Amino acid sequence: MLLAFGNFTADPSVNLQLLIGGLALGAIYAVVALGFVLVYKSTDVLNLAHGEFLMLGAYFALTFLISENLNFFLGVFVLLLVMLVFGLLVHYGIMRRMVGQGFFAIVLITLGIATIIRALLLIFYGPTERARLDLLPQGSFEVGGATVRYVDLIIFGVVAACVLLFFIFFKYTRLGLHMRAVADDIEAAAAMGIDPDKVYAMTWAAAMVMAGVGGLLFGHVTGAIDRSIEAIGLRAFPAAVVGGLTSLGGSIVGGLVVGVIEQFANGHLGTKWREPVAFSVMFVVLLVRPTGLWGRKDLERV
Amino acid sequence: MTAVENPAPQQEDSPTYRPSTIQRLLPFAVAAVVPFILGSTTENVNFWWKALITVVVLAVVARMAWVWTPRGELTHREDMRLWRTPSDRSWAAVTTFGLLVLPFILASDFTPPMDFPWATWFAVVNLVLIFAMGAAAFNLLVGYSGQISLAHVAFLALGSIVGGIVGVQWSGGNMWVALPAAALAGAVVGAISGLPALRLKHLYLLLATFGFHFVMMLVWREYLQEYFGFVGIRFKGENSPRIASWLHWLPGIDPDDNGEFIITGQFRWYWVLMPITVLSILFMVNVVRTREGRAFAAVRDRDVSASLLGINVARSKLLAFALSSAVVSMSGVLASFYIGSRGEDSFNVQTVLNYAIIIVVGGFSSIQGAIFGSAFFWFLPEWFKWAREELWIVRDIDFLSDYPSEIDLAIKGFLVVIILMFKPDGLAGLWKDVKGWIGRSLARRGP
Amino acid sequence: MSSDGLDLRIEDLTVVYGGVTALDSVNITVPPGGFVTVLGANGAGKTTLVRSITSLLYLHKGRVRRGSITLGGESILAKKSPDIVKAGVAQVPEGRKLFPNLTVKENLLCGAASRSDVDAIDDSLEQNLELFPQLRPLLNQTAGLLSGGEQQMVAVGRALMSDPALLICDELSLGLAPKIVHRLFELLTEINERRGTSILVIEQNASLALQHAADAYVLELGRVLIEGTADELRGNPMVQELYLGGGGEAHTSYAAIERPSRRPEAHGRRPPVSES
Repeated sequence: MLLAFGNFTADPSVNLQLLIGGLALGAIYAVVALGFVLVYKSTDVLNLAHGEFLMLGAYFALTFLISENLNFFLGVFVLLLVMLVFGLLVHYGIMRRMVGQGFFAIVLITLGIATIIRALLLIFYGPTERARLDLLPQGSFEVGGATVRYVDLIIFGVVAACVLLFFIFFKYTRLGLHMRAVADDIEAAAAMGIDPDKVYAMTWAAAMVMAGVGGLLFGHVTGAIDRSIEAIGLRAFPAAVVGGLTSLGGSIVGGLVVGVIEQFANGHLGTKWREPVAFSVMFVVLLVRPTGLWGRKDLERV
Repeated sequence: MTAVENPAPQQEDSPTYRPSTIQRLLPFAVAAVVPFILGSTTENVNFWWKALITVVVLAVVARMAWVWTPRGELTHREDMRLWRTPSDRSWAAVTTFGLLVLPFILASDFTPPMDFPWATWFAVVNLVLIFAMGAAAFNLLVGYSGQISLAHVAFLALGSIVGGIVGVQWSGGNMWVALPAAALAGAVVGAISGLPALRLKHLYLLLATFGFHFVMMLVWREYLQEYFGFVGIRFKGENSPRIASWLHWLPGIDPDDNGEFIITGQFRWYWVLMPITVLSILFMVNVVRTREGRAFAAVRDRDVSASLLGINVARSKLLAFALSSAVVSMSGVLASFYIGSRGEDSFNVQTVLNYAIIIVVGGFSSIQGAIFGSAFFWFLPEWFKWAREELWIVRDIDFLSDYPSEIDLAIKGFLVVIILMFKPDGLAGLWKDVKGWIGRSLARRGP
Repeated sequence: MSSDGLDLRIEDLTVVYGGVTALDSVNITVPPGGFVTVLGANGAGKTTLVRSITSLLYLHKGRVRRGSITLGGESILAKKSPDIVKAGVAQVPEGRKLFPNLTVKENLLCGAASRSDVDAIDDSLEQNLELFPQLRPLLNQTAGLLSGGEQQMVAVGRALMSDPALLICDELSLGLAPKIVHRLFELLTEINERRGTSILVIEQNASLALQHAADAYVLELGRVLIEGTADELRGNPMVQELYLGGGGEAHTSYAAIERPSRRPEAHGRRPPVSES
């Protein structure tokens, strides 16, 4: 999807191009997977609406950066702020009441949220597709016969920075510590005076901000901004699972691994194999190591 | 609800009463026969007269079933009946009558006030039947057996593939062979797709089954391209299913101009879909009542404890997958032949969502909830369309008519969220409350 | 640590989970700086009592139907758990409930989550390490990998990090060697005497709890069956029979104890069918 290939030979430069394309795709997956991981890690919720969150981010980026024509940094700031508010809304409006409900009920409610977002976006933005964003540098350069786009490098850098930022946040700040405590044992955390409600709200806000970042970045590499870009949410699932749904660093590695595998399947087997291969990899990882490559294994005592 | 209605003290007080066999069967016999008499004799009768007769028969049937119910100390056999209490029996009789009389009513010529949609009802009812069957099977697996799966739509696709191979390629429109073939294929593939459930739970099982969905989509697309190309499979025209020859003597079944007995038109389809759906739902309701069904629930609640009780957990899980998938595959065949064509995009992720919506709205983990859910899912757009065009005030809001399908979608999304937040047992739970309320107020006055 | 103990008054507390009554008109008082123990077997409602004090019932779909809980004269019933911790109630949860993936130090710091005097947290940590010198070398270990006794020390230390006025210990002795339990109870007594912290100990190990506590209550099937000073209870033949494992004559009185029923009315169950 990101790069088109006409040549399916074993030519090294083609393979290099596939690798680079895979890494670029993987970086996008990592952005999305990071959103999944954030929510799953601290609230145990599998957020199937993350693709829609990202779509929301992409459309808001259109509004603030293109239509309103704000200064880039101001626009990004406003975008992330709005996403943060939406995240708080998701928690205080809906998810807060679902604490303690069954796993599948919560999965279904995220599907409900996804449906609402999709419908509202269609109503307010219409079904016509928009041109992709072009605010980041659009050029490219050659390495060993393969093309590398600047955008991909930027995405890469942003993902790495986000992971690092979250890592520092969780490891060294008080709020980060409290979030980890809630993730470990919500009841014990509440008994210690940590407000799970606040922590969950923060988590959803962070996930929404991440989706804003993701939407902004993905808006630069997708073919066009339309209703189909929510599919990236589902397509990033294998990445999140392979990396381990509870590991921040895992999401980046999982993203890159799945991205490269997908791109090679795409290049050598054909486009239709992309999703099945990715999901088969996920399937195998699930059977062999359900917590993913880096996921936390919960210490459970019966 | 039924249990609350018959608390112990009352049961001891009330005298023992046993209806004769004829009395027990009579309400159901009346419910089964009257619609056909009405259907063949009232062709020229005014719609409202027909409606009045229907309501009267409905009341009579309900009353008969209510009164002629075994009371007092029940034997074990009587206690294990599917319809045990007066209210169960009345509802069963009313439902029987309703299901049989419905096509005659829907087929009659009628112009409702304010152009309330009438012509489209029949099509919607048939879709409801197909979807109710699939959703009930989904609920059996996800709600009742607790095995979370998103591979549901994959089995609809499997049904279409089997329908394509057996029903179209081999026999040129023989749905009757395709149905059992699909059930068999669904059971086998379903058991295979359930294998991850032996190792995985919750989230991971959900993801694994979702992976299975994508694999099945690949198979579907490959199959389409190999034999049918991008247009998809045509299940209509020369591939339409036909009425079995031993049924040709029935009144009202006439050959078309080519001398063929093709199942076409909503009326004929109703008589195909309704029995299959009713039978399969009854089958699932009965499975739930058996030893195997109780094992499903035990495994759902705590599989370790279930295994300590001597339940073969692996067998129970795989059986749940196989049963559910078999029924879903059959509904896939029915949907293929009813809708008439299946293409590349017939089984996208949105379809998975639709089934999830049906189940949530209808009521999680209740098999009858699937019926409510799919009825709601298909009638909502119809009524909304009608409200947009005809209902005063609403028809003046341009916003609504500008974005009909989007608002439809938004309503469904909001409903899912609201129901999960405030009424997790959905429409089935609401219905139970209403039924309980009616039952209680009737019991207060004495039957 | 400076907080003086506050008194806890539980009056007429009735708690239900769905249709099941878990606590029925319970009255318990912990005087300021007192050391009170609540005894009871499994299912007596001990854990529910703790959850109602710390306002965690909602996580288990329980709710208070009636009654009041006051700390230092102020009602804490409607407060959320973080505010209750802030008001001075700390707890050592049943089964320790450490954060298994966090280190010992992080666990201890989580105990100070409700404190706003960030600078004083380090002092509290230091005081804790003086109280439990064994923990000092383990500070950077993952808590889930510690032994049971060490985990319980971390759990007590974690509770003390919030500088509580009332410390609630739920089943401190569960799964631990008697020697360690003895040591822990001695530490509790020390905390109680030196700092004036009120202590409420929920226990199954009655003999040990009655040795250290001043007042005691016996909870059974959601009701307070017996109350009095610890000495009185030690002398009570029923307590000896039920919880201390002694007293020959009490055998006969066991059956005579009028036990409250948890479910006074049947809940819509179908009556059993008699075979005839």
